[in-house]
Amino acid sequence: MGKYWSSLILALALPVWGQAEEYNLSVDRVMIDTGGFVKEGIGYNGASPGPVLRFKEGEEVTINVTNNLDEMTSIHWHGLILPFEQDGVPGISFPGIPPGETFTYRFPVVQNGTYWYHSHSGFQEPAGAYGAIIIDAEGREPYRYDREYVVQLTDKHPHSGDRILRNLKMSADYYNRQQQTVGDFWRESSEQGFLATLRDRMMWGDMRMMKADIEDVQGFTGLINGKGPEQNWTGTFEPGDRVRLRFINSSAMTYFDVRIPGLKMTVVQADGNNVQPVTVDEFRIGVAETYDVIVHIRDAKAFTLFAESMGRSGYARGTLAPEEGMTAEVPELREAPLLTMADMAGHMDHGDMDHSSMEGMDHSDMEGMDHSSMESMDHSSMEGMDHSAMESQGNPDPFYAPGSGLVPAAANGGKFLSYADLKAQKPLYEEREPTREIELRLTGNMERYIWSINGIKYEDAEPIRLQYGERVRFKFVNETMMTHPMHLHGMWSILDVGEGKWNPIKHVISVAPATTVYMETEVDAPGEWAFHCHLAYHHAAGMFRKIIVEGGPDESVKSLTKAAEAQDGGES
Amino acid sequence: MSIKFRMLVGAMALALTGGVYAAGEHGGHHGSGGNGAGEPGDASDVSRTVEVVMYDNYYEPENISVESGETVRFKVWNDGALVHEFNIGSAEMHEAHQQEMQMMVEHGVLKGDHIDHDMMNMDMGDGHSMKHDDPNSVLLEPGESAEIIWTFTEASDLEFACNVPGHYQAGMYGDIEFK
Repeated sequence: MGKYWSSLILALALPVWGQAEEYNLSVDRVMIDTGGFVKEGIGYNGASPGPVLRFKEGEEVTINVTNNLDEMTSIHWHGLILPFEQDGVPGISFPGIPPGETFTYRFPVVQNGTYWYHSHSGFQEPAGAYGAIIIDAEGREPYRYDREYVVQLTDKHPHSGDRILRNLKMSADYYNRQQQTVGDFWRESSEQGFLATLRDRMMWGDMRMMKADIEDVQGFTGLINGKGPEQNWTGTFEPGDRVRLRFINSSAMTYFDVRIPGLKMTVVQADGNNVQPVTVDEFRIGVAETYDVIVHIRDAKAFTLFAESMGRSGYARGTLAPEEGMTAEVPELREAPLLTMADMAGHMDHGDMDHSSMEGMDHSDMEGMDHSSMESMDHSSMEGMDHSAMESQGNPDPFYAPGSGLVPAAANGGKFLSYADLKAQKPLYEEREPTREIELRLTGNMERYIWSINGIKYEDAEPIRLQYGERVRFKFVNETMMTHPMHLHGMWSILDVGEGKWNPIKHVISVAPATTVYMETEVDAPGEWAFHCHLAYHHAAGMFRKIIVEGGPDESVKSLTKAAEAQDGGES
Repeated sequence: MSIKFRMLVGAMALALTGGVYAAGEHGGHHGSGGNGAGEPGDASDVSRTVEVVMYDNYYEPENISVESGETVRFKVWNDGALVHEFNIGSAEMHEAHQQEMQMMVEHGVLKGDHIDHDMMNMDMGDGHSMKHDDPNSVLLEPGESAEIIWTFTEASDLEFACNVPGHYQAGMYGDIEFK
């Protein structure tokens, strides 16, 4: 944290310190062609995704953003550590950028790695307002590679964001195309018995959930760097190259399982921070996360880069090849996973946000049901999982509820990355005891499509107040049956993987259904910050908090960073 | 189950390298053929000393030039915060050794920033241990240093590499060029 403040003070005291690079971005109406449909959207400098911004650690950047839309806009620099007035969240960091106006962002670049930028206004980001940021390290990169590519994923939907939220509010399963059918019912009845199957269906019905509720919004086309599967984004290489792929998931709602059949991927960075390299066959990238991998390609042939959505309702596809135009086989989508009773456990234990349906339930019936379906669930899915996961990883992924239907397994039976594999390459902070713990229950009402924290949605909630200098331990308890990528602005999220000082630092922490995940934050950035689920429609439906950091390192710095409210003065 | 790393010399190495060239697996930026990495050298034959510093996760320098028949003393120092290896061999030898190192991780011998020496020296029940004591390599904890005296018997396709899982793949290797 000292580093950040000293560079900030330096930057402010000496405006010519380092390099002062200037960038210009215009926010424009653009046409987005996915290969399957063409839709009007929003982009930067005339295209979606916008240009890759390449910064250098240690420089001070100036970015002039001109709003050519007829509505307010904003740009948030996702994962960047910067003064809060530069963070780009309307209503928290600044008022936003009115139509026709230019807003100038200016901040020192105090980190390196792969990040991204996107609008934080309305549904402009799902409409296409996003781009990649690469920050080159001040010193040498701790890795060797011959070339690199950004691989920016998104889930482009033919409907507008407003329309999608309206439809979800009307019926939460509006976009669920994988609902279980009457046919499924009879097939399962013959396998598991009529009564067990009927009870199972009634149970899920009472929860207002379905086993197939993994993706709220289906019907999208997966894009890589703006290109649909048929348009086939291609990265070229020379045989023998080590290629660094900078994966960024800029989706509104979609987690992707990423693999390149025929190649091992060595994960070297997560959310912009170097991790101890770990070689995998496949990894899951949550919404708004980034992963950098290095692939060593020896053969002069094409490889498919395949990103299946977690619920298997869609995919993105690209190619790595010695030359443009070469292709490799595109795998079939694997069978869609179904949620299990294990994924429902958090919801059942603390079903306080769904009183009506919980109370309406016959509890004696529920217990009877529990046993039969839990057992059948355990046996089928646990064993299936054990076999694939045990051999390669030693044990199932601890970041999923035991028996969860979402536990990932590599398509080739090999190694699937877990959060538990992520260890910081070089710890940023001294390890110390947290000063306090804050419990955040991730809650929701699927029926009314309200998403909340501790049962309270954003507009009804008080901000979370943190004190500058403290280290807070956040306890996320996911009481819903969906996976939530929680994003804290302005300060790092130190993910507890049980490795002490080697715990990795991230900007998004994905919390699977019915799990409890801890992260710690060194409160080292004064000001007001956003904290929310990065699923666009959960964020919009209320799974959002304002965080206020009170106090500051000292009077002078505080008054500088709080320029917007300079009169405040205040004690440190 | 010995994880002792055996030198690939003689016919076996010839066959391997021959196969590799036939398959055209290399980019051709290494030496011009040969068989094997060389052999442990004698201190009295040392012509010069090369210092190699290991960082997280790269070497300095990343290129070392040698002459065939030359005996070199390598002084290797781990200036990183993680365990690293300095190992002289062909890409194929490194790949085989990576599997052994993976086993060391899985058995709790090799941790990110230290080596469990008790575990490493433990008899695995068959008279073998996971000792990492091959003459062409050193495995060092942060702050440790060691020497290797190595004779490059003839021009060959060699790299020095860290085979701690993930490190080689992330680019922790250097080229040995024959003049």
